[in-house]
Amino acid sequence: MSDDNKKNDELIHPLARPFLWLDAKWLKSSMFWIFGILTVAFVAADVFHPRHEYVHLAEITGFYAMWGFGAFVLAVMIGWIVIRGVLGREENYWDEEGDND
Amino acid sequence: MIETFHIESLAHVSPAWPVIIAGLVAALISNNHVRKALALLAPIVALVLWFNPVTTGTYGLIEFGGFTLETFRYDNLSRIWSLVFIIAAFINGLYGLHEKDRLADVMGLIYSGAGLGAVFAGDLLTLFFFWELTAISSVFLIWGSRNNASYKAGLRYLGIHILSGVLLLAGAVIRASETGSWAFDGSLSIDTVGGFLIFIAFGIKCAFPFLHNWLQDAYPKATITGAVVLSAFTTKLAVYALARGYAGTEILIYIGAVMTAFPVFFAVVENDLRKVLSYSLNNQLGFMVVGIGVGTELALNGAAAHAFVHIIYKALLFMSMGAVLHRVGTVKGSELGGLFKSMPATTVFCLIGAASISAFPLFSGFVAKALTLAAVAQEHHTLVWLVLVFASAGVLEHSGIKIPYFAFFAHDRGLRVREAPVNMLMAMGLAALLCVYLGINYGVLYELVPYPEAALHYEPYTFDHIVGQMQLLLAAMFAFTLLVRFNLYPEEKRSVNIDFDWVYRRFLDGTARWGWQMIDRLNAAVGNIVTATQARMGGKAFEIFSPGGQLSRDIPSGVLAIWTSALLAVVLLIAYLAP
Repeated sequence: MSDDNKKNDELIHPLARPFLWLDAKWLKSSMFWIFGILTVAFVAADVFHPRHEYVHLAEITGFYAMWGFGAFVLAVMIGWIVIRGVLGREENYWDEEGDND
Repeated sequence: MIETFHIESLAHVSPAWPVIIAGLVAALISNNHVRKALALLAPIVALVLWFNPVTTGTYGLIEFGGFTLETFRYDNLSRIWSLVFIIAAFINGLYGLHEKDRLADVMGLIYSGAGLGAVFAGDLLTLFFFWELTAISSVFLIWGSRNNASYKAGLRYLGIHILSGVLLLAGAVIRASETGSWAFDGSLSIDTVGGFLIFIAFGIKCAFPFLHNWLQDAYPKATITGAVVLSAFTTKLAVYALARGYAGTEILIYIGAVMTAFPVFFAVVENDLRKVLSYSLNNQLGFMVVGIGVGTELALNGAAAHAFVHIIYKALLFMSMGAVLHRVGTVKGSELGGLFKSMPATTVFCLIGAASISAFPLFSGFVAKALTLAAVAQEHHTLVWLVLVFASAGVLEHSGIKIPYFAFFAHDRGLRVREAPVNMLMAMGLAALLCVYLGINYGVLYELVPYPEAALHYEPYTFDHIVGQMQLLLAAMFAFTLLVRFNLYPEEKRSVNIDFDWVYRRFLDGTARWGWQMIDRLNAAVGNIVTATQARMGGKAFEIFSPGGQLSRDIPSGVLAIWTSALLAVVLLIAYLAP
């Protein structure tokens, strides 16, 4: 944490002080494991209690977990590669001639 | 009984009128406190009037120019939409209490009232009146930012919404000339010219694909309160209009599916967090449009319930970002982070909004979105259902994770600001309370939807549904942590991403400018040629006819004799040949 941040810590809201651990590095790194374990746990629930769905494809064990994981990664990659890569422009793009003149 | 008399005498008064009248009165009042009191009292009066009708029916008939305008149609569809509009108007009034802007107060009220009036409209002419009033009043909420970018965005916004109104009126006139009916009901069809124009008019306001960019263009440039107000009415009014006129129109299923998916990709890498919310809004509209397209009772319940809860949690998210903008001065993701240390209450409210829109169990989005997804699955639209589930994970990405994470957590940038003003916290608290309340006591919501019996047969909190939804959300969050861990998540970057608006803001605008320049140049070139020709002709004439010109010179008699003989020969020839 920088010196500026240390000075600024005096300005932290009293209600936030008990929750400063949310900013801890150990928590950020362990979120990966927490969500991983929770996902596996809910997939395991499928094994013991098969779901009944209107869409038969969704009855596959762990379907929602796989679809959710895949959808998230796909959304991020398309956003990153296609949208930012191809359609991304400088922040002042619209300030140039034509729009805001 | 005086009380009964008063209630009965108001039975034909649409709840829209007190809100609009409050706006007009506010225009005359310079005292800020009185205007703010009006902003809070008007929705309460509207709520009293909302409870007033005993039975469903059409009230508030006005004879005008040979037409009968139906200003207060009270039925199951208008009931739920108008209630949430009234709630939104109250929350907006509370959220904007700290602002001292007469124009914003006036236009906010008129806009809210116009939205209500449109929902209660029983015929297309009345709808047109309120439709245009929403457009004209709302643009001032964008211009209220008082900078060049918002002025230009407001002009574009106004242009496209006026176009929507013109299409609506044109469609209504054509339809009336064909059928003699001005009815605003399920008899509308895209198979007729009039019906198709009205459909496009609704589609513009509903931000259909390729007609959507006014939303992402204008909302992020609106005032802090203005963006919250705007998020509630315009697009949901369009969803209502589609539900009223085009329920069961199949093409809406596919339009809606596209609407749920494509904004996700833009939202992922958008740096302006209010613009992320605008894309997110577009995505949420898609779910409702799909529900209307499916058109079954369960699906229409889903669209209505989704619109109801969406207005509240989307307002909550816009309010939280508005609070950040108010305190920090920016909502650029690249410049935020660690704000939970300064704005803990705002953080909690934002997280509740994020959980609601992501459809976590116990939050309002869970019980509403489930209806639409179930209806789509029941009607065997499997591909569309898969797109909606994909979009649900996308919602979690941009609104569930990105908004709260990059604003309040992520990298602490040492921003130490004050917590949001009390009135903002109260408005956010009220919205957050409703998000949780409706998520738990979903029966209240299900009783309000157009077909309560169908909804009450649906049970959202089943083991299968909870497990499936938790799998989806947790796996998506695991994907987020995985991508961050391996530096595969794009960092927030100061940039913009061009969208379809490039076509009219750059291509068409550039083409028009180029065309004007070419016309200018052509005009100048023609002018030059004309001037040069005139000068040349004048010079030649001068050379010939002037006192010193050719005709004044001495000509040798021999040559003159030859020319005279030639002319004589021509004259003789003509005389000989003439009949």
